[in-house]
Amino acid sequence: MFERFTQDARAVVVGAVAHAERAGAERVEETHVLLALLDREGSRGSFALAVLGLPPGGRDGVVRDLGEARRRGGLSRADADALSGLGIDLAEIVARIEEEHGEGVLADPGRGGVTGRKTGRRLFDRGARDLLTESLRITLGRRDRRIGDEHLLLALTARPGVPAEVLADHGLTHESLSRVLYGPGTATDAGTGEAKAG
Amino acid sequence: MTEATDLAQRAGDRDPRVGLRAVAALRRLLEQLEAVQVRSARHQGWSWQEIAAELGVSRQAVHKKYGRQ
Repeated sequence: MFERFTQDARAVVVGAVAHAERAGAERVEETHVLLALLDREGSRGSFALAVLGLPPGGRDGVVRDLGEARRRGGLSRADADALSGLGIDLAEIVARIEEEHGEGVLADPGRGGVTGRKTGRRLFDRGARDLLTESLRITLGRRDRRIGDEHLLLALTARPGVPAEVLADHGLTHESLSRVLYGPGTATDAGTGEAKAG
Repeated sequence: MTEATDLAQRAGDRDPRVGLRAVAALRRLLEQLEAVQVRSARHQGWSWQEIAAELGVSRQAVHKKYGRQ
């Protein structure tokens, strides 16, 4: 699949690995892919971000929100709601754990070398692998020849989870991205993922 | 209506997705909490054997999961 990636999409994949490495994460996750997307300039994905109010240099808010989600152990708001349905208060748990073990400890449970892998090859976790598959599906659905970074962005917003929630908080949804990239009224069935996410 | 039948009825009406999502979220949370606690125990000088005993798993399992540097 990698040979179908544009230069920009490849740069995002490489960048995602670098973000995972820097964070000491065991695996490359979808949030690392989003962070790498936010680093891009001059690509189709970057163009779409800029049109929707997130120009290069103006993306710190998204990075900050991703950090906040990490602090909750990477659980999304939908996760928090689901836990609340069981009577579990995620915010309370996070507060207690941080009180005992230090601020931001859930964001980086591997810090200190117990689980954090500092070097070596990193694999994509299941979510990130599914994301790549989804980007291929979207590319084929649009009859585009190559997988670009804009397809990775579209795929992120089509899947439930922290990246889609954070992007939606900043006005980026699968629909708005499709409109910017392909013109109005061109949302495809890829958007159905978003319905499930909601 | 008794509390039990009320509960049963509500459970029956429920979208399975809600319950499944809650379980998945709980599992994710559990993994995070386990990592924090294991790390903390190691920093306090606990052996893998001691940690495994508290977690109710084999020493090999906990070492394989967290033993890598």
